[in-house]
Amino acid sequence: MTHLGDEELVELYYGEGTSAADAHLHACRECSAHYAEAKRSLDAIGPVAVPHKSADYGDRVWENLRPRLIPYRKETSGWRGWANWRALAMLTGCALVLSAVFLGGRYWERITTKRPDVASNPQATQRVVLVVLTDHLDRTERLLVQLEHANSPDRTENAQLQSEARELLASNRLYRASASNADDPALAGALDRLEGVLAEIANDPNLSAADIERVRRDMNTKGILFEIRVLRARNSDQESGLRTAKGATI
Amino acid sequence: MRESDHSIVRAVLAGDKEAYGALVRAHSATVFRVAFRIVGNEADAEEIVQEAFLRGYQRLESYQERSSFGTWIYRIAVNCALNRISRPGIEAEYRHGEESDPEEKTVQVPATDADPERVLLSKEISVAQDTAMRRLTATEKSAFVLRHLEDRSTSEIAEVLDIAPNAAKQAVFRAVQKLRRELAPLRRNA
Repeated sequence: MTHLGDEELVELYYGEGTSAADAHLHACRECSAHYAEAKRSLDAIGPVAVPHKSADYGDRVWENLRPRLIPYRKETSGWRGWANWRALAMLTGCALVLSAVFLGGRYWERITTKRPDVASNPQATQRVVLVVLTDHLDRTERLLVQLEHANSPDRTENAQLQSEARELLASNRLYRASASNADDPALAGALDRLEGVLAEIANDPNLSAADIERVRRDMNTKGILFEIRVLRARNSDQESGLRTAKGATI
Repeated sequence: MRESDHSIVRAVLAGDKEAYGALVRAHSATVFRVAFRIVGNEADAEEIVQEAFLRGYQRLESYQERSSFGTWIYRIAVNCALNRISRPGIEAEYRHGEESDPEEKTVQVPATDADPERVLLSKEISVAQDTAMRRLTATEKSAFVLRHLEDRSTSEIAEVLDIAPNAAKQAVFRAVQKLRRELAPLRRNA
C-alpha cells in the first residue's frame, strides 16, 4: 500500500484531496497520524488579526481617491471628438493644398510651355517641304533611270514601271502646283516636263518596250533626268543650309 | 449586489464619476483585509487599497461583467500587494525580519488566556509565525494567504495570481512546508 505524501495531506487539509486519498486516510493509521500532525501545525497558524476599520473607512478611501479620478466619456469623449474633428480638418486641409498645388502646377506648365508650332515657322515648313520634295525627286530619278535602261519585252517589268509612274504622277501634280505658287520656275518647269513623261507611261494601256523607247526619244527623258538631279542637289544644299542655320540659332 | 455593481460600473463609464464611490465604499474593507494579510503592515495596506481602486477606475473599460466587481478589484489588490512585497527593498526587509522591531511589524494574536505564561507563549508564537511568513517568497506568501487565510480554492488563487493551477498548488505546498519547518520548535515547546 502506498502511503499519502505531504502534498496529498496538505490537499486533504484544505478540502481539495481526492476521494481515493480520503479513503486511504481513513483506512491507514500511519497516514492518519501524519495527517493529524500536519493539521495541528497548520491549525496553529492562526488567522492574522486584521486591524479594525471603522464603518466610515470606505468614505475616507473615497474622499482621498475622488480628486485623482478623471470622469469618463464627458471629458474623454469630448477630447476624442475634438481630436477627431481636428484630425479630419487637418487631413482635408492637406488634401486641398495638395490638389491646389497639383492643379496650379498643371496650369502653370500649360501657360509657360510653348509647343513647337511648325505651321507658323516658315523655316521649319520649308525644311519639311524640301525633305518631302527630295524624296519625290529620288523616286522619280530611279524611275527615269529604269526607263532609260528598260528594253525588256517582259510585260511584268513594264507593269511595275507603270504602277510606280501612276503613284508619282499624283504627287508630282501637287509639287508642280506648289512650285508654281512658290514662284520657283525652275522646279515648276522640270516637274511639268516630268509630269508629261509620267502621264505617258502611267496612261498607256499596253506599255511595251517600243512605247518606252518612244517616250525616251520624244520626251527627252535624259534631259529631264539631268534636271531632276540638279534639282535634287539644290534641295540637298538648301536642306543642309537650313540645318546649319538652325544649329547657329541654338 | 452583482447586478447593482454592474449598473454602477456602467454609470461610471457613462461619465458619472461619483458613482464609483459606492463601489469603493462597498469593497474597501475586503480589499484592505487581503492587502494587510499579504503585506502585514497597516500603512502599506491602506496605500494598496488606494492604489487598487485607482487602477480599477483607470482600467474600468476592460472590466468584463462575467465576474463580480468584488472579485475583479480583489484580484487587482492582490497584485498590488504582491508587487509591493516583491520590491527588492521590501523583500530584503522581510528576509531580515528578525532584525527589525517585532512590535512594529508583528501581527498580534489576541490572548484569550490571562495566564502570563500563556500570554508570553502566544506572543512568541505570533512573532515566530510573522518571521516565518517573511521568509516566504512573494508568490508563496500570497498563495498561502489566499489559501489559508482567505479560504480561496487553488483555481481562484491561480486566477488571482495569474499563474497555472499546478503552480498555485505548488506555491501553497512550499509555503506550508517552510512554515511547518520554522514553527516546529515552538510546537514542541507548546
